[in-house]
Amino acid sequence: MNVRKGTVKGFNAGSYTATVQVAGSLAVWLADVPVARNIGAAEMVVGRRCALIFFSESDPRDALVVGVYT
Amino acid sequence: MRTLPSALLAAQKSVSAIPYVKVEIADRIGGIRRLDWQRLYSGGETDSYHAATMPGDGSLIRCRVDSGSLYRQRVTSPGPGSNFSNWTFVDAAANAGVALASRAAQVLLFYVGTNGKTIYVRESSNYGATFGSATAITTAATAVGWLAAGLKADNTVLLIYSVGGTVYAVKRSGTWGSPAAWTNSLASVSGLACQYEADFDVVVSGSDALGAYKVWTCIYGDGYSQAVGTWSPLREVVTASAGSNMEFRAPFLAYPDVFRLTFVEKYTGSESYSRPCFSFSPATADYVNNLWREPVPMNLASDYGLAIAYGTSDMWLTTPSGVWQASLTTPALDVTADVLELTIETDPNGGRLRLVLRNDDGRYLDLSGEKAVIKAGGEVRVSPGYQTASGPLASSGPAYWIEGWEYTSDEGKATLVLHARDAWQLLEGWRSRRQYAWAQGEKNVFQLLSLIMARASLEFSSAGSSSVVTDLYPSFTIQPGESGAIAVRRLLAVVPDVIFFRGHFAYIKNPQASEASDYSYGTDHAILRGRYGSQRPQANRVQVFGDGPFVEAFGWDEVDDAYDRVRQVHDLNLNTVARARDRADAEMRHQEIASSGGEIVVPMNCGQELYDVISITDESAGLTNAQRRVVGLSMRYSAGGRVAVYEQRLLLGAV
Repeated sequence: MNVRKGTVKGFNAGSYTATVQVAGSLAVWLADVPVARNIGAAEMVVGRRCALIFFSESDPRDALVVGVYT
Repeated sequence: MRTLPSALLAAQKSVSAIPYVKVEIADRIGGIRRLDWQRLYSGGETDSYHAATMPGDGSLIRCRVDSGSLYRQRVTSPGPGSNFSNWTFVDAAANAGVALASRAAQVLLFYVGTNGKTIYVRESSNYGATFGSATAITTAATAVGWLAAGLKADNTVLLIYSVGGTVYAVKRSGTWGSPAAWTNSLASVSGLACQYEADFDVVVSGSDALGAYKVWTCIYGDGYSQAVGTWSPLREVVTASAGSNMEFRAPFLAYPDVFRLTFVEKYTGSESYSRPCFSFSPATADYVNNLWREPVPMNLASDYGLAIAYGTSDMWLTTPSGVWQASLTTPALDVTADVLELTIETDPNGGRLRLVLRNDDGRYLDLSGEKAVIKAGGEVRVSPGYQTASGPLASSGPAYWIEGWEYTSDEGKATLVLHARDAWQLLEGWRSRRQYAWAQGEKNVFQLLSLIMARASLEFSSAGSSSVVTDLYPSFTIQPGESGAIAVRRLLAVVPDVIFFRGHFAYIKNPQASEASDYSYGTDHAILRGRYGSQRPQANRVQVFGDGPFVEAFGWDEVDDAYDRVRQVHDLNLNTVARARDRADAEMRHQEIASSGGEIVVPMNCGQELYDVISITDESAGLTNAQRRVVGLSMRYSAGGRVAVYEQRLLLGAV
């Protein structure tokens, strides 16, 4: 398991997934990252920092945005 | 195990064999010449559309567009003393792309007329000394953006040009044909490159429908990797997400020794820059494989990139205001006669070399001239061998890349000690500078490994891999900042296969329990010392949790003897029972191989490699043709001590 920080670049309220700029990736975003349902859709504002857990270090689907801040 | 000539096989089994260790240091990385660029010209020309080529007489032909005028330049026998500042006015031209292509004495110069739509060609048949009058090839409906051209040996010419996000191709086989739009789709094109090498190889930069800027390769077929007259799909080289303030533009492509590529990375955020980058492909890669080293930034600012030209011995990079030259010949230094000691340690996590060279007369104090190859990243190639009846014979073996060196002095003795690491260090040194992500089904494990190896300048091939390697298309990511070595190990964890290196080639093989022995020790080839053990594996029961399936695998003998030790695997890529079963079996194989221990010390076997299966006969330890797998090996050679040493230590695992 791997914890990383990132920046919200997009949010899909239908699939409840986000596009995230993982810290260190200047120009490429990670799409379709599941977002914890306990985070309200209104909080997923583009530009906010976020915390991600990668349950599997290899599989980007097995990750979760667990918090947004700033 | 590397195949050895019979004379060398006989020598290494002889008790009186005389060692021969060939060591060569070359200015290569991953088997590819490291180009040592020398800037020959710094002028005041405006950065703009430009091109370069080198016809058969070795003259450098350049062209550029400046404020509505097209200029050309020809420098015969270009070199450090040449004048690169004299330009000849050619014609009025649009501020748009230009292209040059040449073969033998023929040179073609393409440009866009002042209406911005009509493309002209001027042709030279005397190595660019003079050009004919302009011929209109086609007139586009709207403004032409970029041009590129390739020239085949039979004089077939392909011109490609962009209009908005569409690329058109028009071919000349005797006479010019009609332009036809490609079958790909982009929102915009910010650069084109083309050259002929069995197909018309093309590089495109621009943005896709989502606004993501990328550099892609594609092929306009000539029947090698792509059907004649058809376009391949676009294959991504670098990418930047929409809204990231990153763009790519102005690519150039050539094949002087391998495919070499330049393009501009343009960042418009804070601390903006327009920085040319270069990349190259592995020597054995076809263009269609789309394997590229991680692009390397160059210490230069340009919006219009670095054009590439090359002759038989040199490669050239040009901008309107700059000319750089680099030799294509790889300098190499044979230090065999100076080797006092050599120690190599290799295990599944990497290899290290320590090379001691005599320096009693100060021969290595000045690392210039032919000794300039002794520098960080220089490639040290070790070929262990013996003196034989057929003369000195050696087996071209592992390669290492210099990490550092030290001089020693001790009571009148002086040495140069080189420290180097093997290809795992190249993988360790490659750090992902962005998020890589592949959806499930996009690339299989072999393709992912090929891509990572290429990013670190390494070749990749199979030496008998499992079917899982090509059947499994996992969802996979490489995190920013993560090393290639970690990414490779994470991929190897999902297959039963292992990787070993032979020079700059990485080979993947499936270490099957049924594998036959490669070599025997204790009969013809002596065992100097031996230690044999067994140890409990870390796990004898594997539980695999997939996306639905749950599968277990057991080492029952171990479980019966000492109860179960569980290892759990969680992987959403495992969405069928068969996949989960493959993974469980792979985990058990890794455990089984680690369940045996020990080592033998033997006279140097020049062809021995990691993961070979060997047979051991050592009556003192009760072993007769006992099969073991080599899970680590070291080599020790000393010619300068009181007692000469030339031996190999093999770490043993279970087959």
